[in-house]
Amino acid sequence: MAQKRRGTRIIRQKPDHRANRVILIRSLILMGVFGLLAFIPLFFKLWNIQISNHDYYQDLAVKQQTRDSTVTANRGTIYDCNGTVLAMSATVYNVQLSPKDIHETQESYQEKVENAQENGGSLPNYPEPTNEFIASNLAAILELDEADILKRLEKNTQYEMIKWRVDPEESDAVQEFITNNHLSHGIYLMPTSKRYYPKNSLASQVIGWVNPNTDNVGAYGIEAQFEEALSGQTGRVVTAKDGVGTELLYRFEDYYDATDGNNLTLTLDATIQSFCESVVQEGVEQFDVQDGAFCLVMDPNTGAILGWANSPTYDLNNPWDVSDPVLLQYLEDIKNGGYTKEEAYQKALAEGCTADEAYKKALSASESKVLNTQWTNKAVTSSYEPGSTFKSMVLAAALEEGVVTESDHFYCTGVAEVEGWNGDPIRCSQRSGHKDQDLAKAVANSCNPAFIEIGKRLEAEKFYDYLEDFGFLEPTGIDMQGEPSSGGQIVWDREDFTNVDLAVASFGQRFQVTPLQLITAACAVVNGGHLMQPYVVSQITDANGNVIEHTEPTEVRQVISEQTSQRCREILEKVVDGGTGKNAAVEGYRIGGKTGSSQTIKGDDHTIVSFLGFAPADDPQVVILLAYDSPKPSATNPNVTEDLWYISGGNMAALKAGELMEKILDHLGVEKTYTATDDVMVPNLSGLTLADATNALKKNNLNIRTVGDGDTVTGQIPANGASIPGGSEVVVYMGAEVPQDQVQVPNLKGLTMEQAKQRLSERGLYLKASGATEYGAHVVAYEQSLAAGTSVNRGTTVEVRFTDSTASGAGL
Amino acid sequence: MAKRTRDLTVVQQMSRGPMDIPFLMLVVILTVIGVIMVFSASYPTAMNEGLSPTNYFIKQAGFGVAGLIAMFLISKINYQTFRGLSIFVLGISIVLLVLVLPFGYGKSTVGAQRWISLPLIGGFQPSEIAKVGVIMYFAARLSKRNTEKRRRLSPRHPLSDVYAWLDEKGVLEPLPYFVILGIVAVLMLMEPHMSGTILVLVGGAAVLFAAGIRLYWFIGGGALVSAGLFFIMTQTSYMATRLAIWQDPWNDGKNGLGFGFQTIQSLYAIGSGGLLGVGLGKSRQKFLYLPESENDYIFAILCEEMGFLGAAIVIILFILLVIRGYWIAVHARDRFGALLVVGITTLTAVQVFLNISVVTNMIPSTGISLPFFSYGGTALMIQLAEMGMVLSVSRQIPAPKQE
Repeated sequence: MAQKRRGTRIIRQKPDHRANRVILIRSLILMGVFGLLAFIPLFFKLWNIQISNHDYYQDLAVKQQTRDSTVTANRGTIYDCNGTVLAMSATVYNVQLSPKDIHETQESYQEKVENAQENGGSLPNYPEPTNEFIASNLAAILELDEADILKRLEKNTQYEMIKWRVDPEESDAVQEFITNNHLSHGIYLMPTSKRYYPKNSLASQVIGWVNPNTDNVGAYGIEAQFEEALSGQTGRVVTAKDGVGTELLYRFEDYYDATDGNNLTLTLDATIQSFCESVVQEGVEQFDVQDGAFCLVMDPNTGAILGWANSPTYDLNNPWDVSDPVLLQYLEDIKNGGYTKEEAYQKALAEGCTADEAYKKALSASESKVLNTQWTNKAVTSSYEPGSTFKSMVLAAALEEGVVTESDHFYCTGVAEVEGWNGDPIRCSQRSGHKDQDLAKAVANSCNPAFIEIGKRLEAEKFYDYLEDFGFLEPTGIDMQGEPSSGGQIVWDREDFTNVDLAVASFGQRFQVTPLQLITAACAVVNGGHLMQPYVVSQITDANGNVIEHTEPTEVRQVISEQTSQRCREILEKVVDGGTGKNAAVEGYRIGGKTGSSQTIKGDDHTIVSFLGFAPADDPQVVILLAYDSPKPSATNPNVTEDLWYISGGNMAALKAGELMEKILDHLGVEKTYTATDDVMVPNLSGLTLADATNALKKNNLNIRTVGDGDTVTGQIPANGASIPGGSEVVVYMGAEVPQDQVQVPNLKGLTMEQAKQRLSERGLYLKASGATEYGAHVVAYEQSLAAGTSVNRGTTVEVRFTDSTASGAGL
Repeated sequence: MAKRTRDLTVVQQMSRGPMDIPFLMLVVILTVIGVIMVFSASYPTAMNEGLSPTNYFIKQAGFGVAGLIAMFLISKINYQTFRGLSIFVLGISIVLLVLVLPFGYGKSTVGAQRWISLPLIGGFQPSEIAKVGVIMYFAARLSKRNTEKRRRLSPRHPLSDVYAWLDEKGVLEPLPYFVILGIVAVLMLMEPHMSGTILVLVGGAAVLFAAGIRLYWFIGGGALVSAGLFFIMTQTSYMATRLAIWQDPWNDGKNGLGFGFQTIQSLYAIGSGGLLGVGLGKSRQKFLYLPESENDYIFAILCEEMGFLGAAIVIILFILLVIRGYWIAVHARDRFGALLVVGITTLTAVQVFLNISVVTNMIPSTGISLPFFSYGGTALMIQLAEMGMVLSVSRQIPAPKQE
């Protein structure tokens, strides 16, 4: 049977060897092709993707598979030298809506309502979260446009950021709104950090600010310079997500801790800084200054910057706001027609813009110019002709080299002859000439011909050496942003430094230095000859208070000897003590310095008036450089301002520098040293006899005037402990009633010191004079500590500041 | 000795003779690996669809077990029965291909009418049946080509000389087969189902080739196909964009989020694997990044999880399977068995090759599933049934002579 089946079912095809061979061969061919050849390229392709390009594809894959959320590190705090906070970061919140989630919340509210209606339960006890309800409430809390919020709510997107970095009060209010209305699924407060500057505009150009638009990266000043130290290490949370963005919990999660930024302690003293800023600002207003001002205060012994003020300034909390009156005025002028003079306007017109477009361009150009001006730390980024202040260095060099001595005499005819000079004759500020003067007098007079002579004696080669040694050919190396790499602009090469150049350089003209270079060099002149590297950051500490870096004072080189430095101090003290800088004098303090009025390239009506000072003269603790850029001359007389201030370093900068110096020295606790006319303490005379009282007063350099005829003293004006100028009269009551009435302070402005003293003593008041007090009849009062008309007790001391109002060109 | 010869009758060999164990083992191993990979690749998809994570796995495993049983049962059938069945299988598949056009489904999901649902069997692709049908029918007829009576025109017919000459040169012989292939191909292109069409043509061509059809047909056919492809690629904008995406998947007009997306995601998966892979079950690309990760692109997930090494091993397993398939064909007892196995083996090999080529972006993408791996119950069952046929043929391979 089997055989039969075989016959019927199997042998259907006739054996055919040829056909079989064909099938065999062709099958083998197919085996070769599809069993082997076809698959070989697959291995190569896989190798190429998986091995050769593994990293490439993996990176791309990981990028899409993970969500990298950053954990912001707290930015470090910036302190002044006494620990006052100048800049700090705090957590604030961004308000974010999720229209999608809000929609879900609304649906669940509807469900609750339906449930309640069906089952007779109670309705939700909070209002329905309609879009309108949310929009109107948030708009009210955050002061936003309601319609805009409404529009964004209707977008059905996942996230809508409606306000960035809201203040704590606002975010608290939003949080309350969320809680009260069960909107935690829909409105979110996202933590972020905000930089606060508690002192607002204080030291704004030094501190700089962080730009919230670029991830809170420091944009200017210390914030930018020390970005790395301050910013810390941003942490990361890497989580896996799937193709539609859902987080895959517990899969491939990685956490990198954030490291908080380091804290900086600056050498700045907030108090000194505020003194500087107010003096700068006052001066700008007082002298009608057009192009700003700056003031640097440095500790000559270390190079630490104690104060650093610039004008115009701005509020660090709102860096894009312009608040400086000068800048505001400028913008106002641009708007009201000044735009036609702007370069951007002309350029836009040339490019074929309409007048309206050009106007807008000019406006935005001037706005960015203004912002740039207020952000720039002028005292380090820009340079100017130092003018006569530079004579301090020339003096130091000449004394050091022994080419002049204190006994040398110089004769000034008012004009200096310089070989090779063929322009207008070089004149002294005093046209008639200073005539014969010794070295100290020549410095005190700021006599240009004398200094040309000193420069000539020093010779070009030596002069250039000192230019170099005082650091004028290189940057100071301060830890601040923006210092030009060449320092200032010494236009001459050593080889090209001829005698004409030498002549003008001797009185500080035709070359430029940065204010920072100048004050650094000045410190070397008075501190014993040490050129210190200036610095602003004294210490870097980590978040736990460990000191990471401490700046030690760095001496760049010794420029002059201790002795030379001392001789310079003595000579420069005389500049304030009766010379061009006499307006800087402060009763009780020994101040030295040098005035300067520098020409600028902007023209004759642009002069930078400056004062470079130090105190105490015998042991300098501070060196200041105060300068006002271009007080506006009056229309009638180019030498004075509208308010009749004579435009010169001596009449402007020295005057304000004296005020500043007094405040700073007082703040630093430097004791005043008094001469005979200085203030003395009124002793207690009560119960003494007339003779004893007279003696007691005499001991204190005071005079006596008696009222009444009792035996013993029953009263006195001023009361004991009061401080009045030496030589004043104390009224002693011998049994008579001490008058209790008050007197009015008289107006003293414009009076000489004698007149003022008399006017005051008529009313039982005392005078305490400061400023230029001893030098001639044209020294008059311009400021008094108690305003005219104020009612005060008898015996009160009125401080009055005097100035030499009719000073001639001697202010150079 | 004589008794022993009598005991080992041909019938016994036919029905109970040993299957080809290497081939069986390869099929089982590949099926098991495939089902495991379906589990790994499908559970994120299942979860995303709100199903149990093991949903697809259990279904696939069920079909796998059923398929292996079916394979075993089919291997028990004397394959000569397939000769007679072949015409029915082909006929049914053509009917189904017609029916799928009005009654099928798939338009909404893949944009092509490819599936049809039948009572008891469930949903499947008629094209899968058509592939087998074509191979079976071609093998059955071509195995008898040497005995077939040649038709002749009457000598009076004006074209009788030409006809005889053409017949002599083998021009006429394959024409009926071309007609059948043409009908099936047109029906499948109407779905449309480009990749299925290719596979049917490849299966049919393989049988025709092995059977001894004149080579010029293949040379000419190859030239025609090349010219056609060249024309389509260069002259039609549809293919031009596809080619551009093939060369640079990111250049799909949507920065890699358009038509290039799947290819890019596949490359990410394969590339992430590296040498040793991220580990079984640890693919990240299957988390809704790579579309059809459990289906046409399951090989990419395999590459990601098992690395180059794992992928190479799987490819080698396929190569061994294919080689063993041809080995069975070469040793088959008769021409029908040989041609049947050649057809099935070539079909499988081409499918594997095309799938991996698409997944690795070696050729422009077209939807071809990977045998034993891609998710799809009926496809797996039909696949294993085909392997059952191969095994059935292998049972009748004469035992090598002992002496």
